[in-house]
Amino acid sequence: MTLSHCLLLATALFSVGIYGLLTRRQVVAILLSVELMANAANLVFVTFSRFKGGAQGQIFALFSLALTVAEVAVGLALVILLYRTHGDTRVDLASEMKS
Amino acid sequence: MSHAVTLALVALLTPAFAALFLAATPMIRRQGKPAAAITILGSVVSFGAALMLFLDRLHSEGTERLVVPWIHTGGKIAAEAGVHVDGVSASMLAVVCFVALCVQVFSLGYMHDEPPADFGRYFTYHALFLFSMNTLVIAPNLLQLFVGWELVGVTSYLLIGFYFKKPSAAHAAVKAFWVTKFADMGFLFGLLTLFVASGSFGWTAKLDPEVATAVTLLFFLGVVGKSAQFPLHVWLPDAMEGPTPVSALLHAATMVAAGVFLVVRANPLFEQAPTTRTVMLVLGAGTALFAALLAMVQTDIKKVLAYSTCSQLGYMVAALGAGSVFAGFFHLTTHAFFKALLFLAAGSAIHAVHSNEIGQMGGLAKKMPLTAGAFTIGALALAGVPGLSGFFSKDLVLEAVEGKLGSIPYVMLLATAFLTAFYMGKVVVLAFFGTPRSEHAKHAHEPDWSMKLPLVGLAILSVVTGYFAGPFAHLNGSHYHFHLGLGAMVAIGLGLSGLGMAWAMFNKGPREVAAITAIDGIAKSRAVNRFYEYGFRKVTLVLSDLLAWIDRYVVDGLINLLGYKTIEAGRAMRPLQTGFAPDYVLALVVGVASLAAWAVLR
Repeated sequence: MTLSHCLLLATALFSVGIYGLLTRRQVVAILLSVELMANAANLVFVTFSRFKGGAQGQIFALFSLALTVAEVAVGLALVILLYRTHGDTRVDLASEMKS
Repeated sequence: MSHAVTLALVALLTPAFAALFLAATPMIRRQGKPAAAITILGSVVSFGAALMLFLDRLHSEGTERLVVPWIHTGGKIAAEAGVHVDGVSASMLAVVCFVALCVQVFSLGYMHDEPPADFGRYFTYHALFLFSMNTLVIAPNLLQLFVGWELVGVTSYLLIGFYFKKPSAAHAAVKAFWVTKFADMGFLFGLLTLFVASGSFGWTAKLDPEVATAVTLLFFLGVVGKSAQFPLHVWLPDAMEGPTPVSALLHAATMVAAGVFLVVRANPLFEQAPTTRTVMLVLGAGTALFAALLAMVQTDIKKVLAYSTCSQLGYMVAALGAGSVFAGFFHLTTHAFFKALLFLAAGSAIHAVHSNEIGQMGGLAKKMPLTAGAFTIGALALAGVPGLSGFFSKDLVLEAVEGKLGSIPYVMLLATAFLTAFYMGKVVVLAFFGTPRSEHAKHAHEPDWSMKLPLVGLAILSVVTGYFAGPFAHLNGSHYHFHLGLGAMVAIGLGLSGLGMAWAMFNKGPREVAAITAIDGIAKSRAVNRFYEYGFRKVTLVLSDLLAWIDRYVVDGLINLLGYKTIEAGRAMRPLQTGFAPDYVLALVVGVASLAAWAVLR
């Protein structure tokens, strides 16, 4: 398992995340896609920590996880709010800002 | 501080304090009588100082000044403010303060029936006027003179419009203001030209001939407005809407003479501009004759005197144009006394008869001998009867003009002398002799002492001033010897025959005279006024409409177009905002990807 393998995996994860972000209509799925992208980034942190030595990468990954948890909490709260106001969690329902 | 300077400052500032005090204390001003007392006290002090200054100047030479820096430009002092005492300013100051004091005392009786608040306002304006006029007279440079010039313009406006509830008075005030302000633009541009050319506002600069001509011609435009010369004389007859003492002080004796005073003051500049002097000679003589003709046909006693003032100012301007500063200035002085006397005596008659119309008077000499005597003395002085002040000064003017420009102005002024004697004779005969032609005239009686006293004072000066021509000339750096030349004899003859003709024609009461009726037709056409009205309507208003159209449709149109295009652009870009979150995310991803690609590939 080399550095390139790990980075390729992270890129693949990130791409899957973007794909999900752009194509899903369910807000929960979009949130999951965002999680994938965040974890791809965490994977890059850990990878460089593993191959270049030092602990900063791992520490950053931990911080990032904590932030992601907070983000998910806010995101899910928004999902619940969307469900309450629109009766569903499809993202295209929330288009009141349209001109 | 020298003695002379102190006196000048006292004369200048006492009325200023009186005016400021009355302006700041409405409680006192609205009581009327106390306000009059304060103003007159200020004028008494001012006149006392001016008289002492005049006597002091009689036996001391040179000029004295006290100035403080006023306007700084580029580290240099561009103009100073203060007092400048010499023969010219000292004699003018004494004349102004004396006439002002007489008029203010006269006003005590004349304005007696006004409500106290108006009475106080009237005297406050008078204090302000005296300060303004003294500022002008005592000015150490032409810029301060200009400030005084504008201040007397404002007080003139206030006093003409004193009965501002009367539309004709309000209109007359505005008209006087506009016409003189138009002329003052000339004065102002002249001042700026002078400053650019010589670097100061002094009147002693040596200029290039062309510049001197331009500056003095611009100054002369201001003079034409202020001293009511043709064609800007139209405001002066209308200014008679003001109270009669105001007409006596501002519109006969002092303020309108400010134009002449300016030429006297700035004589070193005018000396360098022969062209301007020629213009002055022609315009002055023309105005003298023109206004005298119009004075013949007026039925309102104040209007006669107003046109007569225009005419006499024309005499002064012609004398200055002929190069004789002393003749012009001396005629200004004597005219100030006898014309103020005429106006005040007319005011006394008007007060008794309750009308300005000569047709309502008649036979007043029996009821009010003092008024009649005063008016007659003034009229004889104005007509140039030998022995009275007007004779000496008019003779000087005629002597100065004689032989200039092929003697045409001289002949015009001689004709004016005849007409002057005729119309003054007519007024005296019709108003004071014969039989009363109205109820009020039958029961007319002399006014109280406050109106008699100034008449007596001015009458004495109207008689004797002529005999002080020698010292007066000395004071103004000139010489005077009396000699009875052929010209003077002709003038005397013309004056006496004018008076005689008036007596012969009118001693049986008013009657139609074909020549006068013909002139009346011309006067009634109001040609000059109508020219201005026509010009205003056809030029100013049309131009204003055009500019309004440009403003509305071109300037505003461009701004509106810009706003409209902005709105349209916004509307065109609205579809970009879909409100659909994945679209924004796509834009974000594309943007980030583009930035990343740029970062890698550059």
